[in-house]
Amino acid sequence: MICYKFPQKQSSINLTHESMKVHAVHKKHLITAIVVLFIFLFVYAATSKLMDFQQFTIQLSQSPVLTAYANEAAWGIPVVEYFLVILFVFNEFRLWALYGSFALMVMFTTYIALVINFSDYIPCSCGGVLENMGWTEHIVFNLFFVALAVIGILRLESSDPTQ
Amino acid sequence: MGINRVLFKLLGTASLSIGAVIIVFLFSEQQVHRNNAFTRRYPPHPVVKTYNLDIGYNSYYVAGWDTDFLYLGNSTAPWHLLRVDLGTRDTVHIRMEPLNKGLRYRSLETRVLPPYFYIMDGTMPFILRGTIGDWKAAPWMEETAFFNRAIPIDSNHLFIRTISSQTQRSALGIIQQTDSFYIRLDTTLLETQLDGIFDVDGMLVQSGDGMYLGYLYFYRNIFIVLDSKMENPKNQRTIDTVEQGQIQVAEANSHDQIQLQAPPLIVNRSGAMDGNLFLVQSDRLGRNESKSMLDQASIIDVYNHQRGTYEFSFYLYHIRKNKVREFAIRGAYVIALIGDQLSVYRTGKAYFDQTTNTEETTGL
Repeated sequence: MICYKFPQKQSSINLTHESMKVHAVHKKHLITAIVVLFIFLFVYAATSKLMDFQQFTIQLSQSPVLTAYANEAAWGIPVVEYFLVILFVFNEFRLWALYGSFALMVMFTTYIALVINFSDYIPCSCGGVLENMGWTEHIVFNLFFVALAVIGILRLESSDPTQ
Repeated sequence: MGINRVLFKLLGTASLSIGAVIIVFLFSEQQVHRNNAFTRRYPPHPVVKTYNLDIGYNSYYVAGWDTDFLYLGNSTAPWHLLRVDLGTRDTVHIRMEPLNKGLRYRSLETRVLPPYFYIMDGTMPFILRGTIGDWKAAPWMEETAFFNRAIPIDSNHLFIRTISSQTQRSALGIIQQTDSFYIRLDTTLLETQLDGIFDVDGMLVQSGDGMYLGYLYFYRNIFIVLDSKMENPKNQRTIDTVEQGQIQVAEANSHDQIQLQAPPLIVNRSGAMDGNLFLVQSDRLGRNESKSMLDQASIIDVYNHQRGTYEFSFYLYHIRKNKVREFAIRGAYVIALIGDQLSVYRTGKAYFDQTTNTEETTGL
């Protein structure tokens, strides 16, 4: 495993400092917007999965990629999503949360790409309105959030005062 | 912190995420397709492809044969029938008609067995029958029995699969027309391993000469061969090793529906019979078979059900990434429906002419 060391504390202090520059204000708002979008996405996705948990478990176990780990994944995915939401709420952990969201969205996108290209049949296991999305729309949607995470990470990392 | 270092971390995270999903995917693929416990034999050219014919739609299914004529029914245009002369490659579009114009139906299936054709709906249930050439379908059987699969055996018998009202499980049976219709179910033929519905799912087959009926289980390595009266059942194992169907059924959900909990392991995809030969389409790889072959062709295993032996295997090739949807054998022809194409193969006499069998059938 690779371990990352983040100087989040300093950066968040820097951002909330009264004498910050104008571009820092934009940065702050942009990052806040990204964080809010992610919180909204994960709360919605995790909750809609848990609301119809049995259906979600079945859909996952019918998936050609996750069959063997369906039960663990059915719990694991909403738990990870809620966990990321909690991380987002605390300023110190926002960078961690962004990296986590980035990893999760990349995994979802990979999963969709594999299912579309290499699987004999295509199951769906997304909740709520996401269920009505086509697979291409889904990939675009995911890539949008991947991009958001990347932007957030770059901003937060570059606001490090030691640069 | 340097931008390079951040990009490095992002790339690292992305690679790890993608890698993890791919590993899980490959692992599950492996489980589905690989089974090193059996070995196939591929002799040189047991079948030779003669041509592909563009039939325009991918919704055709095999409805029946009349010597060199192949009849294809169409699941999206149920009153349409396509007749293909396999020798000359001529096609004729046929429009069938019900005598009863106000006919109500849910899902129709057509079967052609000279001199008749049958239009069946096992959910209503009814069966219409008419003569080939005239193509007008008159009511023949109504409300005698529900069924979910049916094939005509001769002009007054049908081989069906239905759900027995006594056992609430799938059973094979025969609908017979004498003065009126009656059905004979044999609830002992399909052997329940789990719930008696999902786990025994399979396909009805019939030999071209009308001598044998068969049932091919999808989820276990067994097919059943019966005589045309549905007697003298004989179970034969395929070369695969999955004896116990790997299928899970979920508890009924809030809509009272029962679903499969996981993708079942499909041991036998589809089957066909000709004389003493039973042909089984399988996606499962045996020893020393390359996974890439499954991207190019479907594997057909040939068994002799009178000798109880596995004979050999051959490939039916995909067309532009479309897999074999259905295949059939009759006399000198093996045909496959692939996408909107009909593939026609010639059978090699040395391999397929096993109808003159000198050995005695050994018991049941």
